[in-house]
Amino acid sequence: MGNGLIKDIWLLSKRSVQTTLRSPFSFIPNLLISMFFLVVYESGLSGISQLPAFDGADYLAFILPVSVVSAAIGGAGGAGQGIVKDIENGFFSRLLLTPASRLSIVLGPIIAGMLQLFVQTLLIIMVAFFMGLNVETGFFGIIIVLLIAIGWGLAFAGYSAGVALKTKNAQAAQAGTLIFFPLIFLSTTFVPYELIEATWLKVAATINPTTYIFQSMRTVLIDGWQWWEIAQGFIAIAIACTITITFATVSAKKAVSRG
Amino acid sequence: MVKGTIEVEHLTKTFKKGNVQAVKDVSFNVKEGEFFAFLGPNGAGKSTTVQILTTLINASSGKVEVAEQDVIQHPHEVRKHIGVALQETGIDPSLTGREMLKLQCGIFGFNKEEASKRTNELLEVVQLTESADRICGNYSGGMRRRLDLALTLVNKPKILFLDEPTTGLDPSNRKSIWEYLERLNKEEGTTIFLTTQYLEEADFLADRIAIIDGGKIVAEGTPPELKSQIGNDLITMDFTSEKETKQAMEILNEELEATDLVNKGQQLVMYVQDGTKRLMEVVRVLDQHSIPIQSINVDSPTLDDIFLKITGEGIGEQKGEVKHG
Repeated sequence: MGNGLIKDIWLLSKRSVQTTLRSPFSFIPNLLISMFFLVVYESGLSGISQLPAFDGADYLAFILPVSVVSAAIGGAGGAGQGIVKDIENGFFSRLLLTPASRLSIVLGPIIAGMLQLFVQTLLIIMVAFFMGLNVETGFFGIIIVLLIAIGWGLAFAGYSAGVALKTKNAQAAQAGTLIFFPLIFLSTTFVPYELIEATWLKVAATINPTTYIFQSMRTVLIDGWQWWEIAQGFIAIAIACTITITFATVSAKKAVSRG
Repeated sequence: MVKGTIEVEHLTKTFKKGNVQAVKDVSFNVKEGEFFAFLGPNGAGKSTTVQILTTLINASSGKVEVAEQDVIQHPHEVRKHIGVALQETGIDPSLTGREMLKLQCGIFGFNKEEASKRTNELLEVVQLTESADRICGNYSGGMRRRLDLALTLVNKPKILFLDEPTTGLDPSNRKSIWEYLERLNKEEGTTIFLTTQYLEEADFLADRIAIIDGGKIVAEGTPPELKSQIGNDLITMDFTSEKETKQAMEILNEELEATDLVNKGQQLVMYVQDGTKRLMEVVRVLDQHSIPIQSINVDSPTLDDIFLKITGEGIGEQKGEVKHG
């Protein structure tokens, strides 16, 4: 009786995907906001790309990472929301009472969150292609963008699942997603670093790991295979994932422990 | 084959938060195939005990073996052999009843075919076949309870734990749950550990009952044993005022040496061995003192009476005045 870890993870991830698909309002608003960033900023701000600091870059390619990262963070936030819902409706306890591996109980919603943001990112990139996107590094560049989106999403999923397991409270988990705003906007969101005027925003952008995520994506989309620029995004992901997944693991251990 | 037994020795649970001692040195055994009821009011420690026995929380001290396994050292083994329905149902409202059951089957290691078969069987048992493909979020309270019960049966558990399974259900749903449980216990030989606040539920279903109050077991035995502990009969007298009840209590105490008396305001309950014989004496003595009796009855005690006598409180009642012999 009982399964290996892989089958447990498969079963519980599948169930989380089902749950997500049946409540479309858990992901549609997030997707719309991301599309909104893409379409509105491209239409309204694309003129500024004629400034010398843009170095002739297409503004669509410049703003696309903002849309992708916003979708990734929103999608990953769903993981935490899913866990809180499970705790509230008693399903989490029901799983704890079965021989299912404790790890799979926590990983299921996180993996479903990753899949969700993968699909969202693909959709956004497709829309960008319809709008005339040109990718300097071609097909493999798109793969890099997807990998970065998933990596950054995973870091954020760790954070949102950690908050959910720690607080076991829907409002707190919701409030936790407020970190979205400083992460997205205190960065090189609309213009390159050189064009940021205020010193405080420059400092914030330097500290904010999202800046390096944007930079990696923009490098493959606009400039080509410049390895160090691309690598910095992956380093930021590695550091962030280490911190947030540790946080999620510690919170999860407490949540499933019997103290 | 693992045996569906429960052994609890000196179980204690203190919650660090607020330093509350929810369970105090509780010991009991449940034999294989036995229907055991844990009876007590809200906050008596019933749910905490269930959570410890089912591996959800750890005990502070004491030894607990469920299905011949130590719950602290081998929780994973214990989980394979038990089915648990907690007070709150554990259902994902976005799945259908059939999907919930199939998922549960999958977690217990069934392959697709076995899962479909077991799911259909259980849907039949809890009479949810027709609603099986509807989203559980739209189920009524009774349907959710029944689905929850079906989920606990997926692995054909040796021991079934039910924490107040019928609380909040209407009488017809309650009856049907009772019937499933009885059948399960009699036909499949499943050991059942049930907690309840309803005396009639424990009386009707259980082979043996432990009464828990304030985290301690205050009485234990079969329903007839518990009933005989307090005498074979009880005489219930109604008076027109509380003052008369008090007077009657004093008189019966002095003249008939009646010691087991419970004052319930305008009602007085007297626990006796031979109800009909004592009835005459009671009537005569009270008549001599000109205390008018509104009505008087001789009954066999119910568990409610036992509870009242042992803990000094009826279920959902104010504290009665108890005189122990």
